[in-house]
Amino acid sequence: MNSHFKLTVTLLDHVIADLSRPHPFAAERAGFIGCKVSRNREGILILAHTYVPLQDDWYADDQRYGCFFNADAMRVAMQFALTNDASVFHIHMHEHRGRPWFSRIDLRESRKFVPDFWNVRPNLPHGTLVVSTDSAAGLCWYPSENKPTKISRITTVGFPMKFLERLT
Amino acid sequence: MNDRYSRQSFLGTNSEALFQSVRAGLVGLGGGGSHIAQQSAHIGIGRFALFDPDATEFPNLNRTVGATFEDAISKTPKVIVAERMIKGINPYAEVWPIQLEWQKDFESLRACDVVFGCLDGFSRRAQLEESCRRAMIPLIDIGMDVHKGEPYSISGQVVVSMPGKPCFKCLGFVRDKDLDEEGRRYGEAGGNPQVVWSNGVLASTAVGIFIQMLAPWCRINPGSAFLGYDGDRFTLEHDARCAVTVNQNCEHFVSVGDLGDPFWKP
Repeated sequence: MNSHFKLTVTLLDHVIADLSRPHPFAAERAGFIGCKVSRNREGILILAHTYVPLQDDWYADDQRYGCFFNADAMRVAMQFALTNDASVFHIHMHEHRGRPWFSRIDLRESRKFVPDFWNVRPNLPHGTLVVSTDSAAGLCWYPSENKPTKISRITTVGFPMKFLERLT
Repeated sequence: MNDRYSRQSFLGTNSEALFQSVRAGLVGLGGGGSHIAQQSAHIGIGRFALFDPDATEFPNLNRTVGATFEDAISKTPKVIVAERMIKGINPYAEVWPIQLEWQKDFESLRACDVVFGCLDGFSRRAQLEESCRRAMIPLIDIGMDVHKGEPYSISGQVVVSMPGKPCFKCLGFVRDKDLDEEGRRYGEAGGNPQVVWSNGVLASTAVGIFIQMLAPWCRINPGSAFLGYDGDRFTLEHDARCAVTVNQNCEHFVSVGDLGDPFWKP
């Protein structure tokens, strides 16, 4: 399944500004992006509209993880999905240039929590994104498919348009 | 960088690969759209979705770049004329020639990274903008008209509708009263008067904005833009009406419901 994730330059700037803020104890910040979905000739379009940042007290102090959020964070994200009929993508940042990818812990944890969004919005794809300072990558869990697939394209819409990921 | 594009290397070392990966949607392959197809192919845009239900006829030959006398005789579809022209310049381009109104193939429209609107009429423009906003696609509209004046006057516009930024209504380009009145007043000099030189100016500017969007060569950020063309004085200037609104957020496409497919099913 080809998937194309789009967000505006303004929204991405907002996300990066939030993720770049230092946290009292967590090494990384994370958030959730609410999206609408459409279909095109090549696959699906995932259209980001709202960023849901995590409050400082939603992070758990566990030094084994760069970022570990608690049940409050998941509750808010799931409520957002339910209320807004939204597809939800977790997002965090690796502060380097070039194409980022998920750590083994990222992959293990996202395999646990992303499918939980199907409990509230079973018909929508959900997933996770990682951004660097100039690129991005993502995984999408499509309904009825057990394994996630790489997001084929990630585009910021605005001036300038940026193609953060182009697998196709 | 391929030698072929060495004269545009100032657009960036990755611009060639970038342009090859981008899909441009062209809605309307007449006087404006044919220029845009030709220029985009020269620049190296690698993917096209071409929408136009019409066939070439003799009245099109005054302005449709790439159309021949033979095309008018055999009534070659305009999308096939454009495809032939694009492939003649870049045989590796992927072209979807869609001989339909764009509304009959939404899924191809939504696969475009940028759409050029080369349509007549405000209501058709408004419909195309709504569909582009729904799929978060920047829309660059061009158009011209000939009005009765002293004795005639040529005017036109290039308008950029960028998702999240002012839309055609915000910019004052499409107004409710225009939608109501367009049937009565459009094309007073005859059936949709069009001329090749005005189409060329507007199309070239639209392509320049498109490239500025993808590979900016300077720091000027045009954001949403409304450029008015005075075809009598041969000038193209930012429209004074949008001086204030151009950098603001859109007031009309603000609802989450304006995005995506309202009837989505996996």
